Amino acid sequence: MQALAGVDLDVAAGSICAVLGRNGAGKTTAVRILTTLLAPHAGRAEVAGFDVVRDAARVRARIGVTGQNATVDSMLTGRENLELVGRMFHLPRAVARERAAALLERFGLQDAAERRADGYSGGMRRRLDLASSLIAEPIVLFLDEPTTGLDPVARAGVWRAIRELVDAGTTVLLTTQYLEEADQLADTIALIDRGVVSARGTPAQLRAQVGRARVRVTLPDADPGRVATVLDALGPRALPDGRTISVPAPDGLADLGAAVAQLRSRDVVVQDVALEHPTLDEAFAALTGAAAPAPQPAAADTAGAAGAAVAR
Amino acid sequence: MIAVEPLDAAGRVRFAVADVLTSVRRYLTRASRQPDLLVGSLLMPIVFVVLFGYVFGSSIAVPGGDYRSYLMSGLFAQTTLFASAAVAVAVATDMKEGVIDRLKTLPITRSSVLLGRTLAGVLTGLPSLAVMIGCALVVGWRPQHGIGEMIGAFALLQLFGFAMGWVGVVIGLHTRSPESADAIAMLPAFLLGFVSNVFVDPARMPSWLQALAQWNPMSAVVAATRQLFGTAQATPAHGVWSLEHPVVTTLAMALLLLAVCVTIGVRRYARVSR
Repeated sequence: MQALAGVDLDVAAGSICAVLGRNGAGKTTAVRILTTLLAPHAGRAEVAGFDVVRDAARVRARIGVTGQNATVDSMLTGRENLELVGRMFHLPRAVARERAAALLERFGLQDAAERRADGYSGGMRRRLDLASSLIAEPIVLFLDEPTTGLDPVARAGVWRAIRELVDAGTTVLLTTQYLEEADQLADTIALIDRGVVSARGTPAQLRAQVGRARVRVTLPDADPGRVATVLDALGPRALPDGRTISVPAPDGLADLGAAVAQLRSRDVVVQDVALEHPTLDEAFAALTGAAAPAPQPAAADTAGAAGAAVAR
Repeated sequence: MIAVEPLDAAGRVRFAVADVLTSVRRYLTRASRQPDLLVGSLLMPIVFVVLFGYVFGSSIAVPGGDYRSYLMSGLFAQTTLFASAAVAVAVATDMKEGVIDRLKTLPITRSSVLLGRTLAGVLTGLPSLAVMIGCALVVGWRPQHGIGEMIGAFALLQLFGFAMGWVGVVIGLHTRSPESADAIAMLPAFLLGFVSNVFVDPARMPSWLQALAQWNPMSAVVAATRQLFGTAQATPAHGVWSLEHPVVTTLAMALLLLAVCVTIGVRRYARVSR
């Protein structure tokens, strides 16, 4: 089966791009192609200026990868894991040692440094995994669902670390199922649905793509007379839904003010009037088709087509 | 950071060697963290000597007399089969833990991980070989030829063990869990180990099995070491070419096994992931 049908991504150096999609949308396949783990059957991708197929070795020397599951060697200690990865990037021994120590401290693992990784908690393993993908100071960092399964405190820790990296100039491509994560971290978001980028833009642009703000009026009950009065007050574009009525508010606060004035002039009792901005959740639902069940690919044998450039 | 990259061909070779050594070191560290496995591999030779040297050996006769002396060359080779199963388990474990996924995103020579694993397999097999040699000396095994032949015999055993390690790699890369890798790797270990001249004289087997036993690489390596040690060369070659020229046969079979398994293993490694 084809996991990707056409993915076009372009990530500016020093920014965070979030690839957002449901389970099975093709996020991981895209990351596997960009990290040289899988060759695309068609199309091409460049990372840090190098083609992921023809120049795979050069790409590998410039990227850091943290997969969905922590891939640390559970029988080695935290420090040994970091130094091992450093040595595999051909860092001089002293440099690997020095950076390992610095990373252990930065990720709050210094007390566990000499303990075997199989005794680590899930959050600690994830932090160790992230630290090992940073030891060679990669130009581009790939994070495949870096916070899935983490508790809120651990998640906030990973977010903080990601922001610091980007401030220091690293380019990050992050996949996530969490809208909040994309909203919090990303400069740009690419929405992948069934192997295709179905929308892209800044978080604010994506919200705008779904619709503008609305004024939402909530009544104490769904009394037909009262609903009719409110519909009359809000104009022809107002839509009722039970005891709430909403109307587009392209001018935001000005529209809210006008709506309140209209309601007051008709002397109708309402429970609440509010200006609502569409959430990224709604954007996600609207853009991917909320009712569509997430497709479950049997296996991503076929990588499909991809066109991508990360940090060029 | 500017990525660390080899400047020329010599640099690439230096990096490749460093990658293999890093990988060997990782596997040796892992081995040192599993003392129970080490104890098991050290006790195994003693169990085998007692079991086959005395329990079965008391009722097994080989032409030429001294069964325990006959047996020991076979048991030296037998330890390499178990080492091969250990390699299969280790490779399957790396896959299961996802370590292979990370290794594949690192700028290391692709084959260095597998080469490191098989070399580490040879190194970790040395302590149990030492115990086996100790047992052999205790039960009366005495090499009759010079030190050169003795070194040659052990070198041949290590080469055979290294080739069997690559068989383990292929098995490990084709199984889905360490448990199934262990179960599957034991099949060739038992088949090669028992349908051979390790424990008995194949001349007494039914003729179809005899052919298998005579052309089994285990039989070749065992016949070769018996020849080099000059110990109870009890198996008459029966006009079988492979057993009349066991050293050449062993070398050829080990190299053939390596050519096939390295090719399959490296290819498979490039494609697998958890």
